[in-house]
Amino acid sequence: VVMAYRAINKRRHIGLQQLSSFAETGRTFLGPVKSSKFVTSGDCLESVSVSSAVRLLESLDLSSSTVGQLLKEAVHAQHNAYKTGGSTLLFLAGAWSSAAEECLRLGIPVSTVASVMSEGVGSCIEEVASLQVPVHSVFGHGDNTKTISGLETPRVGSCPFLQVPAGAGGIKEEHDFRDASQPLSTHSPSRRPVKPPEFFSLPAKVKAGTEASQALRSSLHTDTCSRKSALILSRHFNQADDSLWISKPDGFLEQHSAATPETYRCRDLVELAVGLSHGDLSTMELVEAAARLQYQKASVRQGHCTVPFVLDVSRIFTCCLPGVPGTFSCVCSGYVTVVSTASMTLIKELENQPVQVVLIEGDLTESYHHLGFNKSANIKTVLDSAELPGDSSEELWASRVLQVLTQFNVNLILVQGSVSESLTEKCVHSKRLVVGSVGSGVMQAFAEAAGAVPVTYITQVSAACVGSGVSVTVWRAPLEVGGRNDGMPVLVTVEGINLITAVLTSSVTAQIRAKEDRFWTCAYRLHHALKEEKVLLGGGAVEFLCLSHLRILAEQSLRRGDHTCSGWLHNTSSWLASSLPAYRPAVLERLAEGWRRYLSALMCNTATCSTELGAYTFIEHHVQNAAGSGSPSVYILNEYSKLNSEIFNADIPGKLEQVPRVYDSVTPKIEAWRRALDLVLLVLKTDSEIITGLGHSQINSQELEGLLFL
Amino acid sequence: MSRLEAKKPSVCKSEPLTNETVRATLSVLKGVLTSCYGPSGRLKQLHNGLGGYVCTTSQSSALLRNLSVTHPILKILTTSVQNHVSCFSDCGLFTAILCCNLIENVQKIGLTPTTVIKLNKHLLNLCTNYLKSEACGCRIPVDFSSSQILLCLVRSILTSKPACMLTRKEIDHISALILRAFLLTIPENTDDSIILGKSIIVPLKGQRVTDSTVLPGVLIEMSEVQLKRMLPIKKASALKVALFCVSLSGDFADTGEGTVVVSYGMSLENAALDQLLNLGRQLISDHVDLVLCQKVIHPSLKQFLSTHHIIAIDRVGVALMEPLSKVTGTQPIGSIGSVSSSSYGIVKELCSAKFGSKHFFHLIPNEATICSLLLSNRNDTAWDELKLTCQAALHILHLTIKEPWALLGGGCTETHLAAFIRYKARNEPESILTDDGCTQAELQLIAEAFCSALESLAGSLEHDGGEIVTDMKYGHLWSVQGDCPSVVNWPDLLSRCGCGLYSSQEELSWSFLRSTCHPFAPQTCLPHKTVSPTSNLIVDCLTAKLSGLQVAVETANLILDLSYVIEDKN
Repeated sequence: VVMAYRAINKRRHIGLQQLSSFAETGRTFLGPVKSSKFVTSGDCLESVSVSSAVRLLESLDLSSSTVGQLLKEAVHAQHNAYKTGGSTLLFLAGAWSSAAEECLRLGIPVSTVASVMSEGVGSCIEEVASLQVPVHSVFGHGDNTKTISGLETPRVGSCPFLQVPAGAGGIKEEHDFRDASQPLSTHSPSRRPVKPPEFFSLPAKVKAGTEASQALRSSLHTDTCSRKSALILSRHFNQADDSLWISKPDGFLEQHSAATPETYRCRDLVELAVGLSHGDLSTMELVEAAARLQYQKASVRQGHCTVPFVLDVSRIFTCCLPGVPGTFSCVCSGYVTVVSTASMTLIKELENQPVQVVLIEGDLTESYHHLGFNKSANIKTVLDSAELPGDSSEELWASRVLQVLTQFNVNLILVQGSVSESLTEKCVHSKRLVVGSVGSGVMQAFAEAAGAVPVTYITQVSAACVGSGVSVTVWRAPLEVGGRNDGMPVLVTVEGINLITAVLTSSVTAQIRAKEDRFWTCAYRLHHALKEEKVLLGGGAVEFLCLSHLRILAEQSLRRGDHTCSGWLHNTSSWLASSLPAYRPAVLERLAEGWRRYLSALMCNTATCSTELGAYTFIEHHVQNAAGSGSPSVYILNEYSKLNSEIFNADIPGKLEQVPRVYDSVTPKIEAWRRALDLVLLVLKTDSEIITGLGHSQINSQELEGLLFL
Repeated sequence: MSRLEAKKPSVCKSEPLTNETVRATLSVLKGVLTSCYGPSGRLKQLHNGLGGYVCTTSQSSALLRNLSVTHPILKILTTSVQNHVSCFSDCGLFTAILCCNLIENVQKIGLTPTTVIKLNKHLLNLCTNYLKSEACGCRIPVDFSSSQILLCLVRSILTSKPACMLTRKEIDHISALILRAFLLTIPENTDDSIILGKSIIVPLKGQRVTDSTVLPGVLIEMSEVQLKRMLPIKKASALKVALFCVSLSGDFADTGEGTVVVSYGMSLENAALDQLLNLGRQLISDHVDLVLCQKVIHPSLKQFLSTHHIIAIDRVGVALMEPLSKVTGTQPIGSIGSVSSSSYGIVKELCSAKFGSKHFFHLIPNEATICSLLLSNRNDTAWDELKLTCQAALHILHLTIKEPWALLGGGCTETHLAAFIRYKARNEPESILTDDGCTQAELQLIAEAFCSALESLAGSLEHDGGEIVTDMKYGHLWSVQGDCPSVVNWPDLLSRCGCGLYSSQEELSWSFLRSTCHPFAPQTCLPHKTVSPTSNLIVDCLTAKLSGLQVAVETANLILDLSYVIEDKN
């Protein structure tokens, strides 16, 4: 017998239960304040610190459960595509699977649950379009020197969303953007962390700030007025078919029905970056610096570009330097990599001259052959004469390589694969630097900027393949970085190269991986925001809207018993279609409960509320208000503007701190929802698992329960 | 020294179907298949229990491929269903469930297998003749001059596969794509025989379903870096193409047994490379613009070609060779020595394309019946299911062009057919029985077993506790909530029949299945009742369903006929 069959959907749905309990593990990763977890293995003393859903699932062994496997697969797929939204997916998958389970317990047919849940989430996705904020020409207008670290930021006015306490942003470094060979860096000044708003703050806090906000509000208005000429209407925004917004003749988008005419858009890179940082300002600073660098290069290359600038993540690389203090993190134009300390003197010699470069796509070893070359085993070489060759074939090959390098006067060899050690040594002696394991994107960047043509074998090198004008320098003085004997970082760059390396440093080695993850998360968030030219209002605003929207939908269908929306059920002739209205309110209610749990987890994580109960009452209070106001999205926008102008941060006595808006990228967020829902529905619709390829002996007797053999 | 072992005697079991465990496994298998049937069918998670890939499916092709059954009777069943699916791509579950139902029903009767088999054959003939005849009341013509029925056909296939995880909007999108892909495979200029082309499904995983698209010609995937190096393509006119299926990597063909002895200082590799470069020179002098190779091209040859502005694309893969040969209108070159000026083909245009995170070279042919269907879905298991479904739908469209008829779906054909058989068996038994020793009483028994097999198959579409009723005029299927009171206002409770052709407001009368009601002759749909443009019919492919019916009855007959299972234990 090699196949077994187990029903997992008798009375209680085991699959859904498993899903919600797996998802519970990722609860603390939600929101800007994440608590790390240690994953320790039972038998050995290894442990890993994880702080994201992807890394958590990566380090768990879920092979025993199909649902766990599917969950892992879904979170990975989300991470690979967007690098963000994994924790949201994990949490919602859990929340909605308990929602689905509860519906089943109420006796609602599986098909109806699936259909209404899909309808509900679809409706939410349409609804949140009203909280989209257009993003355009964030680089377009003057003032390009302003950065998150607030180097030249006037205190009030032009950067209304972030006040840097005086003295904290004082560490400055002279930047010379035109000289690409100089490493650019942005220090992370030790600054008071700005606490992002958790959708809107507790009412008590809001009241406290009313008086103080008057001055700020006026300054905010003068500011927006002075900049209106730069606004370009986003085509995305026009397509978003919501009647709530109209565009005024002067170019402003105004909220039509709202009591206070308040404009919503994002035209400032700092505002956008801070909003997308989700509390991780130091990482976002690096991303922002990278974006500015890339923008400058793009404008130099193509003059005034007509297409909106998009952060090209494929031309950003990271170089992790564990053991170096965190303050050394920075972004540089060019390629930063670690080379052995033995080439120290060589680099010093190469430092002050442009060198010629060769790019090798394969390995640089004697035995290397290109992919797809099958070496015949049965070929024997014999000596015809008594003349013995002096050198081994390896040495002959090495000398041939050196000959080629000398002939074309090449001092730098970038190799995609591995490099023969003896050759590296020989090259160092003849003042040539060989760098191995270079990524293909880096090769391409050098090919473009230095005019080199990548080749597979060194014998292919001709004058046309050699690139020139490359500079090699030590990345910072070795004393500064200090304490590293396994290698030292060098910066390889060339005029006009479209390549940026983010050097990530941390004195705690265990943190470096999380730091790299966070960097990519921020980079992709900014990338998506610029690419889509829109962001969502974050900090729980969209989730709150979904919650209120579903509550209203549930109430409406309860009152009207409408038959209209049955379009989601494929088979309209089935009795399920006609019984749908009877079940819809209950299912929508459970779905909304999922959002509520999301919001309260968010609030508890950020300590906005200390207890679940506190969060519950707070959320319910606002849901009531929103429903009462007639239009939840208008209510949210109003609360948001209140927050932006009225918050008084009591932590800093005597100092006003504007709380920046929180933004989220649109497609990654919505896709995370859809993926979570798809996963839940996939599990919900499954009634049994079939285990193939097993013998009787391989199944433990305790697992045998409920198995049927074919 | 070899050791001889005495052979074990073979094991012979008589009357395998009477065995209790065989019956039990058969009913488990039937349970698995029945629970998968139809648009609201339940999914199965197939996995190896060791953390391997989890396949979530409800399709017979995926299920049966992974099921490894041991008993010969189950093997006969799964093999014949798999055979049917490989030829017709659809109606696999229909076939398997019907076969199980027939076996189960007939066993309860207690007639001799010979009689049962004979009568089953008569009834099968009755069905196939009816379904093929002009008088058939459950089939409609497929009009190729409009997309309506064709779209219904595709949409019905997509809705019946819930593991694809498509919303209604997405189903509409994918149906339109499949139809467009199908139309692109029909040649424009036809002589007397039509040779249909091919749609290549290109995976685009991780994107939204609505990002799926269809393009004429062939897409070759490659990395962004590779693509950038080849661009821009300067030539505006048609490109001359050399298509190689032989490896141009510069290694030596298999030298066979024995050893090749080479003297020191000689390099076979260089000799092979010289040959390749000679080939390159020939390609240049023949003004070739594009070199495509199934396997690997030596980097030096690539470099040589690119310095002469020839685009070289290697590692195309065996799957694309046939389409490429069609698109370029040339046979692949199988040997370096045999390149002549006649071995080149032509493509109209070459451009680059980007979908999601993937980059492609797009070969646009002059007039070839090859297209690429870029398919995306959110997760891997749903993508796999969608791919299988799209392949099935394209296949079904190809079958339909040969036999342009569609059967009403949603269970209506089954209940209609059952009503028809009941009526014939009751009123014209002599037309079925052609004097071969079966009595009319026997016919009544088997006809009832046959009809109830069909009806309970239609009832398997229901998974959420609903009931099935049938109307007394057309014999169509209607679905109704499970616990409804016996005296009800039917027209208000029901909305439309299973296939969507009739509405409950048409003065019909209904009865529960399995209730004893008077047999009636189901009416054909009226001529004016042909499909209105707004209606959303559920239809099935006639060819596939007809074959499914035949396979089911014949397999059931074969299994019922088994009297011994002889097993070689060695």
